[in-house]
Amino acid sequence: VFGEVVNSGSGPALEAAFRFAAQRQKLIANNIANITTPNFVQQDVSVPEFQRALGEAIERRRGAGNLGDLDVRGDDEVDIGANGALALKPNSTIGGIMFQDRNNRDLEKLEQAQIENATMFRVCADLLKSRSDLMRAAIGERAG
Amino acid sequence: MYGLFDVSTSGMIAQRVRLEAASANLANQNSLLDSKGNIAPYRRREVMLAAGDGKSGLEGADGAQSGRSFGVHIAEIQVDKSDPVPVKYDPTSPYAYKDGPYKGYVAMTGINPAVETVNAMEAVRAYEANVMAAEATKQMVAAALRLIA
Repeated sequence: VFGEVVNSGSGPALEAAFRFAAQRQKLIANNIANITTPNFVQQDVSVPEFQRALGEAIERRRGAGNLGDLDVRGDDEVDIGANGALALKPNSTIGGIMFQDRNNRDLEKLEQAQIENATMFRVCADLLKSRSDLMRAAIGERAG
Repeated sequence: MYGLFDVSTSGMIAQRVRLEAASANLANQNSLLDSKGNIAPYRRREVMLAAGDGKSGLEGADGAQSGRSFGVHIAEIQVDKSDPVPVKYDPTSPYAYKDGPYKGYVAMTGINPAVETVNAMEAVRAYEANVMAAEATKQMVAAALRLIA
């Protein structure tokens, strides 16, 4: 019963997006760390592709009564383990011209990606916290 | 998630060393003697960076968990080994060649202050970008910790 309560509604989708943003931050930080490394090709994963996979998983779950685990199917850039653990295999390269050191850095796009990713992470964290606060309040009322 | 800080820290270290090398090159642009007083013009240093930490060899998901396959490291600090360029004719200098084809010339370091200044500025900007990345990571960790607070 507890699993159904925790896994109901938007919780699993928020958790998946939360994990995705956490893993993608590593890629963005890596791109920034290597911004002056010769021959380094900046890498990222496709956010729209992940959102599409997440949307499809939400639709499937909605058909099953909006309960239970969310079955997000990985693709060639996202590996999803049995426990929902998420690993990214970046293939997409961030645009930008090749510099003389064969690095295609684009600081503006990197900063934009970082801000968007951090915002996505914080929104997911805040919504998850709202859910847990709601559950806590509900449990408190019942106990009182 | 704390492995994320390793990535940004490695970037900051790499850029700091680049800045140190550029500063040393600028500081020694007119150094014609070595520490023992011999005529040996200062040789320019250049920091060569490479992706990853250079030792873990972890790739893919294993490395991603620790953050160690990400980041940047200093592969080598190259010392310019080319022959000193005799650019200044100064036969009265005690450091001038006494004989040979360069008689009367003083060997100089050949360091271009403009190049070193631009390298230093680039290192500072890249350092700032890494600080911003670390700041974003810190805010994300704080948001995650608020979940259980």
